[in-house]
Amino acid sequence: MLAARFAGLAALLLLAMLIGVAFGGASLDPAMLLRVLLHPHDGSDAATIVWQLRVPRVAIAATVGAALALAGALLQALLRNPIVDPYLTGVSAGAGASIAVAATIGVAPAFIPPLGFASGLATSVLVAVLARRGPRLDPERLILAGVSLSALLSAVITLAIERLARGTASEAIIAWLAGSLAGRSWPELAAAAPEALLGLAIAAATIPALNVLRLGEARAAALGVDVTRLQWALLVAATLLTASAVALAGLVGFVGLVVPHLARRLVGADLRALIPASLLTGAALVVLADVLARTVAAPAEIPLGVLLAFVGVPAFLVLYLRGGARAYA
Amino acid sequence: MPERETLVLDGVDIERGGRMLLQNVTLRLCDGVVAIVGANGVGKTSLLRAIGGALPPQAGTIALAGVDVRAMSPRERARAIALVESAEPAGATLTVADAVAAARFPYHRWWEWDATPDDEQAIDDALQRTGTTALRARELGTLSAGERQRVWIALALAQRAPVMLLDEPTAHLDLRAAVETLALLRRVAANGSLVVAVLHQLEEAAAFADRVVVLGAGGVIADGAPERALTTETISRAFGVDVMVERRPEGLAFHRRLAELG
Repeated sequence: MLAARFAGLAALLLLAMLIGVAFGGASLDPAMLLRVLLHPHDGSDAATIVWQLRVPRVAIAATVGAALALAGALLQALLRNPIVDPYLTGVSAGAGASIAVAATIGVAPAFIPPLGFASGLATSVLVAVLARRGPRLDPERLILAGVSLSALLSAVITLAIERLARGTASEAIIAWLAGSLAGRSWPELAAAAPEALLGLAIAAATIPALNVLRLGEARAAALGVDVTRLQWALLVAATLLTASAVALAGLVGFVGLVVPHLARRLVGADLRALIPASLLTGAALVVLADVLARTVAAPAEIPLGVLLAFVGVPAFLVLYLRGGARAYA
Repeated sequence: MPERETLVLDGVDIERGGRMLLQNVTLRLCDGVVAIVGANGVGKTSLLRAIGGALPPQAGTIALAGVDVRAMSPRERARAIALVESAEPAGATLTVADAVAAARFPYHRWWEWDATPDDEQAIDDALQRTGTTALRARELGTLSAGERQRVWIALALAQRAPVMLLDEPTAHLDLRAAVETLALLRRVAANGSLVVAVLHQLEEAAAFADRVVVLGAGGVIADGAPERALTTETISRAFGVDVMVERRPEGLAFHRRLAELG
């Protein structure tokens, strides 16, 4: 059974590669394709197309797919977490940030792949060092370090793109991706506030039940929590709140991940205290960050999301990871 | 215990994963300590969870004081039946006080966040009766298995439900902690609660229960006082093992004839 499935997968890969070699900009009939595959050095244009363009391209595609899937499978098994992505270790953000900076200052294209590889590796090493606890890697810390360093480096990428996009048609999209409150006023607030308030109301109604959920799902159900209804209510509330924030400010990262951890340090894990404290801390933090965003480089504005990542991620890494992460209660 | 609190199972069928485990279970449980024993996989835990309303039975009804447990709202059920889920992991950094305070959830409507004097009283009382008052500020992750089991029982006590259901309350406990847990459950029953516990050790069931329900493939094999329910014949039917039951002044003793297992 398993052997048959492997045979099927191998056949699928061979078929995919064959299709990859057979199809492209120039059309080659099957007889000619077979001839150049058997005689690579016959000097024909078809041989050049197949062996210099398509075959290496197919080989690269197969390598990329195999490498990413393998890395994902390894990390998911190691961290025992089904939603882990190979980019979690910071490779993609590290490579992307160095490439973005290189492109901005005009580094020769030939240097870009090795530069990306080296900075990706360097970021991974940094993530690993931050996630270390004694000689071991702590899965939770690895995920938090990976996500937060990636957020910092993504802010570098965003900043680079934002500079290059000024005055082009993509400026509005980039500004939204970078997170900003520039130009927002009452009409925007009036449009987003009802959704946010509805999300807040649902959240408030679920807090006691959510608190009981800390004991585990079965125990919460035995204590009278309707777990299914709670799950749906929370998903709806979180979606409403997130959507209204995104509609107002674009992508503002970091706040949603980090503020709850900081609030827990301040008031403890009881959600009746933690959730109101998160709300207040997040609000204060974004107000202050926006003050910096519009004053530091005045009259220009630094994107809010970028500023929060630059200030917040290092603070978080020092406070949370070096201060000793604790199991989520 | 007044008659109106009687837990009645009538023609209950329990299915798990498409397999019929128990058929036509009919029991009337009033008070005291009731032990449920039987082989692994026979449906003891499923029956307990069905009584607790956590698992719908395939057929039949389970009613407490005349009210079907499936017809109760989740909070009503939690005020009537405490289901002790010892096996489920909980947040290691949760304090004992916070964990036990969760027992009062079914007594509050969603806008009532603060503990009432009744809550404080129920929590203090539960901690005291389980000997966990001194552990109040400790985090669950720092407790021994026996201490943690006492905390889960304190949680159930603070629920102030007339029925307490426990699934293997002595699993993973050493001899002393097991004896203390069982003694605690006897005191709970002596205060008027109905305590129903799934137990693995027949010696524990015999020594500690007022009544033993032996489950075998398909349903109830025996039901009654320990010395009537736990006999060579019923144990052989339930477990497929030949056991000699000896009556001693201090209780029943079970001698396994291991040689026969080959």
